[in-house]
Amino acid sequence: MNEEREQDWLDKKLQEAAPYIEDDGFTAHVLKQLPAPHVRLQFLRPLILVAASALASALTYVLSDGGRFIIVEMFKVTTIPTVWVVAFALASGMLVMAGGIVAAMSKASQIQP
Amino acid sequence: MELTDAGLVARVLVDDDQHAYGELVRRHQSSMRGLLRQLTRGDIALADDLAQDAFVRAYKNIRSFRGEAKFSTWLYRIAYNCFREDARKRKELVGINEEQWQAELDPQAVDPGLRHDLMHALSLLPLHERSAVLLCCQNGLSHDEAARVLDIPLGTVKTNVLRGREKLKKTLAAWAQ
Repeated sequence: MNEEREQDWLDKKLQEAAPYIEDDGFTAHVLKQLPAPHVRLQFLRPLILVAASALASALTYVLSDGGRFIIVEMFKVTTIPTVWVVAFALASGMLVMAGGIVAAMSKASQIQP
Repeated sequence: MELTDAGLVARVLVDDDQHAYGELVRRHQSSMRGLLRQLTRGDIALADDLAQDAFVRAYKNIRSFRGEAKFSTWLYRIAYNCFREDARKRKELVGINEEQWQAELDPQAVDPGLRHDLMHALSLLPLHERSAVLLCCQNGLSHDEAARVLDIPLGTVKTNVLRGREKLKKTLAAWAQ
């Protein structure tokens, strides 16, 4: 029996000598010993966002004399040249897209095992 | 479709999903317990305690798993560390409980006489050679992966596997004919 075949034979016998071990409650026992998962108050996140937005809107309304500035500013917006509006929209879109890509890449690297 | 280990780990990381971790434990419990049984020279109770400790420790430290190696390799490393710490605490390695060990093995898999001689020959190897042979020859890890698990240089793993194999071959020469 040559060297290589002898090695294969030994590896095969070693593998055969290690049969599958039935779980028999092992996993359940491990799971019982795990620390309790963190209580995640995920529902709080949208709640806080909505409350902060509502508060900011209310403050803006009160401090701006009933929102009169909106009419004034809207009038100003209508006088902006169309090219500027298009450029502004393009720039905003690209900024948001870049932010999204950065967030996705950061999340992917975080969860990539 | 069945999730990969990486997918399950991601679930544990993102959602703290203990069901996903349970699936990982189910997948790897046999190989981990098998390795620890052989490292402890057949002390099944101790090996299972160490395996449980290793899985709990892995869960608590799962954020330190960076995915540079396979999840199973990372688990083996934790299990091996648990074994080493326990052995250090006990100051001496546990004795052989061959009868109980033999009783757990599948009688159909290998000739009982050969199995007995193989296990006995394995238990006689020094720990560094036994660990390297078990990881590489029995559990199918590459030399590089075994080096990570045992935290020793790659060259040392190769030497240990070679020496361990040689000793096993000599002991089992009659069976290999």
